[in-house]
Amino acid sequence: MEYPKLYEPGQLNLLFNKREFFICIAQGIYTSVLMFFIPYGVFADAQSTAAGPEPCRLLPPLRQIGLDTGFWTAINHFFIWGSLAAYFAILFTMHSDGLFQMFPNQFRFVGNAQNTLAQPTVWLTIALTTVVCIVPVVAFRFLKLDLKPELSDTVRARKQKTQHRCMRRVGRAGSRRSGYAFSHQEGFGELIMSGKNMRLSSLAGPVGGAECGLRFGGVWTCSVTKKTKKKKILFPVPGVVGR
Amino acid sequence: MAVNYSVKEEADGHPSGGVGVPGGGAVGGGGGGAVKTRKPDNTAFKQQRLPAWQPILTAGTVLPAFFIIGLIFIPIGIGIFVTSNNIREYEIDYTGTEPSSPCNKCLNVSWDSTTPCTCTINFTLEHSFESNVFMYYGLSNFYQNHRRYVKSRDDSQLNGDNSSLLNPSKECEPYRINEDKPIAPCGAIANSMFNDTLELYRIDNDTRIPITLIKKGIAWWTDKNVKFRNPTGDGNNLTALFQGTTKPVNWPKPVYMLDSEPDNNGFINEDFIVWMRTAALPTFRKLYRLIERKNNLQPTLQAGKYSLDIAYNYPVHSFDGRKRMILSTISWMGGKNPFLGIAYITVGSICFFLGVVLLIIHHKYGNRNTSADIPN
Repeated sequence: MEYPKLYEPGQLNLLFNKREFFICIAQGIYTSVLMFFIPYGVFADAQSTAAGPEPCRLLPPLRQIGLDTGFWTAINHFFIWGSLAAYFAILFTMHSDGLFQMFPNQFRFVGNAQNTLAQPTVWLTIALTTVVCIVPVVAFRFLKLDLKPELSDTVRARKQKTQHRCMRRVGRAGSRRSGYAFSHQEGFGELIMSGKNMRLSSLAGPVGGAECGLRFGGVWTCSVTKKTKKKKILFPVPGVVGR
Repeated sequence: MAVNYSVKEEADGHPSGGVGVPGGGAVGGGGGGAVKTRKPDNTAFKQQRLPAWQPILTAGTVLPAFFIIGLIFIPIGIGIFVTSNNIREYEIDYTGTEPSSPCNKCLNVSWDSTTPCTCTINFTLEHSFESNVFMYYGLSNFYQNHRRYVKSRDDSQLNGDNSSLLNPSKECEPYRINEDKPIAPCGAIANSMFNDTLELYRIDNDTRIPITLIKKGIAWWTDKNVKFRNPTGDGNNLTALFQGTTKPVNWPKPVYMLDSEPDNNGFINEDFIVWMRTAALPTFRKLYRLIERKNNLQPTLQAGKYSLDIAYNYPVHSFDGRKRMILSTISWMGGKNPFLGIAYITVGSICFFLGVVLLIIHHKYGNRNTSADIPN
């Protein structure tokens, strides 16, 4: 409950409304148009078949997913890189000799993958399409983050800074999540483990006061405000569940 | 969300649902020791404490990335463009629709003409062609990507399956059976095979020197050795192996007479294989012959006068198609393709420019909000 204002976008439906939807549609149209016309322009004159542009279709959406994923756990890594690997595995299997021998009329694309993917033009087209689809998204997001950061972005950036400082002290690799407030952020696990909030008396004394109040759901929490040079830290003190 | 800190128990991370739910559920769950506890295990996976990497788009990562992409793409684009410009290409349209064209007399040839119509076109090469030269035939307004056309083939028959040879697949209709005999190879694709013959001569002081055209090595290795196989049987006599079948309706000769050499005859004839690989667009070119360079001292095709002899058998006028002969050298990136080079240069420049613009915006307007207090 450190930053209750983070609930606001959800309650006010700020992140998914008609405007956002149309922006999504526009971006989808832009990406699809590019993913068709760039391979069309490159392969217009050649005698290669459609196996060339196919990988171009796959990579931009994967990159987009990668961009959208704010929190890469091992599971995310497995599924995203796994999708890519599975695509190529299936592609090569479909175009392999073995399957063709068994079902010639169904799998008649034998040799396609080996022959088209060996051409550097195909890989260059894939790289070009991916970059062209991703660059506007990254630019737009970076601008939004830089000029008008949402509350969650600011909190996330600040948490990363404090976590880096903690990491250097504690020496732990990666960040640990615990399922609090917005489930993609680090919660109070670190705070409790380090015992910073346990010494109520030392905090309450010279620096600030403690305010106790009844919060949501009948839980008494006392928050101690401690003003440091740069930021306010609020943390609830272990309280008793009240009825 | 209600969170219950109890001094006795460890931190209970299981989410109690919405905002208004009291923490009583947690107390009830952890209370009795004899009852099986419903708390999830305190593992990293179940308590959402997996180690993770959080990428955040900061100026320190995005701006260098843009500059690097720009700096990589622009030289690649220039390289591709220069390579493409160095590719020599020469194209002759020999459909014959203009009355002044030498092939105008052959314009209305039909596929069952007994006397072949020949025409000769003289041309001049301004620049010499170094390295190996590829000779293509090109067709326009010919939709090899029409769905019914693409499906009209029998791949197991083309793979040499003897039962499919005498009983072709239904997809080949109406080019499946002719006069009660199965057609080999069946289907519309095979039936419309390109059968013009092109020969190239160099004119040197009124003497015509024929240029060696190589007809092997124009199809993919996998096609020639895996996908297309002649029917198997006793002996190597293809005429006997194809007994019981008839030639496609529009062909002048049956499939076992496509070439005198046995490893380029029958289904494994390379011109046939190249034709059977359907093109994706209505204007396409297919590899016809190779002209190899003789030695490193002489160019493969010197600049000068040449003459193209055409046996005009393939009618395209009825559907407003056009026929072309193309001579082209190739590079590591295939044929002439200025589009890719220009696209890379454009994208690289845009990226670089965008990086500069973002840097200016970030420098002037950014960093205002990161040190502000978060409102509570």
